[in-house]
Amino acid sequence: MSETVLKIENMSKAYQLGKRTVQALKNLNLQVKKGEFVAIMGPSGSGKTTLLNVLGCIDKATSGKVLLDNVDIAEMSESKLFKIRRNKIGFVFQTFNLLPYLNARENVELPMENNGTPKSERSGKARELLAMVGLSGREEHRPQRLSAGEQQRVAIARALANDPSIILADEPTGNLDNKNKQEIVKLLANLNLKHGTTIIIVTHDGQVAAHTERMLFLSDGRISKEKQGLHLAKKLICPFCGSKLQPNDHKCISCGKVFGAKKNPAIPEETEGIQSDASQVFNSATDGNSAYSASFTAEG
Amino acid sequence: MAIMMAIPAGIAVNQATTQVLTNNLSNTIAQTSTSINESLTQIDCSLTPSAPSGFGFSRDNTASPFRPEGSPPAGLPYNFVPGQFGGGMPIPGEFGGGAFGGGASEPMNETYYSDIANIAGVAAVAPVLQVSEGHNITVTTPSGSTFNRLVADYVIKGVPLTSIMNDYPILPTNITYGRTLQENDTGVVLLSENNSAYFSVSVGGTVTILDNDFLVVGIYGSSGVSDRTTLYMNLSDAQTLTNNTGYITSLAVYAGTSEAVTSIANEINALHSELDVVTAQERLDTLTQIQSNYANQLEQAQATLSQTQSQAFQEIVIAVAATSIIILFVMLYTVRERTKEIGTLKAIGFSNWNVMSQFLLEGVLLSMLAGVVGIIIGSVAAPFLSSVLLPSVNIFGDNGFRSSAVASNASVVVSPELMLITLGTAILLGALGSLYPAWRASRTRPAEAMRYE
Repeated sequence: MSETVLKIENMSKAYQLGKRTVQALKNLNLQVKKGEFVAIMGPSGSGKTTLLNVLGCIDKATSGKVLLDNVDIAEMSESKLFKIRRNKIGFVFQTFNLLPYLNARENVELPMENNGTPKSERSGKARELLAMVGLSGREEHRPQRLSAGEQQRVAIARALANDPSIILADEPTGNLDNKNKQEIVKLLANLNLKHGTTIIIVTHDGQVAAHTERMLFLSDGRISKEKQGLHLAKKLICPFCGSKLQPNDHKCISCGKVFGAKKNPAIPEETEGIQSDASQVFNSATDGNSAYSASFTAEG
Repeated sequence: MAIMMAIPAGIAVNQATTQVLTNNLSNTIAQTSTSINESLTQIDCSLTPSAPSGFGFSRDNTASPFRPEGSPPAGLPYNFVPGQFGGGMPIPGEFGGGAFGGGASEPMNETYYSDIANIAGVAAVAPVLQVSEGHNITVTTPSGSTFNRLVADYVIKGVPLTSIMNDYPILPTNITYGRTLQENDTGVVLLSENNSAYFSVSVGGTVTILDNDFLVVGIYGSSGVSDRTTLYMNLSDAQTLTNNTGYITSLAVYAGTSEAVTSIANEINALHSELDVVTAQERLDTLTQIQSNYANQLEQAQATLSQTQSQAFQEIVIAVAATSIIILFVMLYTVRERTKEIGTLKAIGFSNWNVMSQFLLEGVLLSMLAGVVGIIIGSVAAPFLSSVLLPSVNIFGDNGFRSSAVASNASVVVSPELMLITLGTAILLGALGSLYPAWRASRTRPAEAMRYE
């Protein structure tokens, strides 16, 4: 859990907007360890998407270092970057971005098409991944025959296709209703917990963010705040004081805060609806950490 | 694509037509010239043909083979058929009926002109009956109307098999098989090499002409006294056969000396002004005239052809350019429409080349499909298209017989080679037209593509 997947050092990103130079990110520093489940939050224009694009190698930093698996991608040319995107990064988009004329399985096979995965293996791998996101039996469905939540599951399966070092999810629940939102967050949380997938979510949604283990607040191109999230409890760490938890705890012995409702959130299969859980976090947060709740409120 | 295909097909037909005409006419002129030179003392007398005429029989046209086509000239047997062959009308390209044989085109009573034999200086008079046997073809003009015309399969020439034949060149001299006709031969024919091939018969065999059987006694080479499709038989046989007893189509008058030719011709004219009197010299002059006319016409035809080619080239260039531009815009539109998709592909690790080849392939497949559709449409519509897009080769447009010289658009055929070339061109154009759009697609920046809705 301590190996660093992503390390950003003094990274800045500026771009031209007409004659004006917009400094989207300013000397940003960030480290993400292998197996972490991170949320990046912030108001519009705070640089969230820019940061995600830089991490995803679809935009380039103006200065500084971006080390992905100890390789600096900030200096890399486009002719090499596509391989990084293909093999090290899995993208999940707000609008799913599935190819409408391909079925679920074919969409999942797409990233494997050009990296030398034998044709015979692609289909099996795709089925396996679709099963993992709970879409067994729907492999041959076209996106328009799937619900929004199911489409996002396909997109997540596609992001996992090449066993990437990191999953980057840009507002993955932004286009989903409440029920589907819970499902997707649960799915991501379980992937992180069971398979150790490193996940970074960019989101507006405080309830979604609360279910990660680490929340980064961006404002004005910098990380202004960092909080721990409820997901830590599943990893048997108290989200509030960092103490070690026992498997069935729902209240931290050290700091006395409640992080689960009646059921123990540490058991992933039983992850409850986000809302109830989140309200618990809210409650706890309000008790002892007004800044935390204030930021949620601000995010609305 | 259909246009691209129809044009070369049309050009090929035009070229072929001109070529055939050139060959036919040169051969015939050479042969006839030879034959005239052999008989410079000959004067041909015939009735002036009424309009483009001559007469002959058409098998196709009739319930009974002798049924007239139009009303018979006054005083003539019912079954004389004014047709387009058999007489003196020169018809380049269709040399069935003694175009240069000097026969009269309308029948005349054989006894009526017996006084000609008494003109001073006349050595002999040979009555000749010349009738064509042929079939009708339907010709489509470039404007789309159709008309029938008789194409002669062979020409029956009845000549007097009397002592006269020994002294004057009324029969071909270059016998290649068997023998020539002899005095008082009856029920036998002398065929040209063309006739022999047409009837698939050789010396000793039998030919059936207008329901009567004749024994083939000889075959002559084609540079003889008459032209290529004429078969010779006894005059009386020919008269009986064509139900034409007592009638002939021309008189071959032989002067004793070549100096006497002109005065004899004048005297015949004085006696019978209705007769067309043509001396060998005049025929030679006519031939020279035809030759020079033909040279002009050939020049025109070649001019038309080169005009056709340059026009066709322009049309092809326009079609090709239009096709490329259409493909270019269709593909650009596609690329634009699918910006988000392209961005997604790039974000999940498609290289520039992966994206570019994808769009190139799509462009090629699209235009290949268009090519196949074009070939199907083109194969069906090529005759129509080439008549719309190309000028016709119309060499002999003024004499009323142009049909044979016009490249019939009905014969515009799209060859397999042309189809392959068309398909190849389509693929090439597809690749060409989608090159830039594909490159544009490959340069799409994924970050921008994502924001694009």
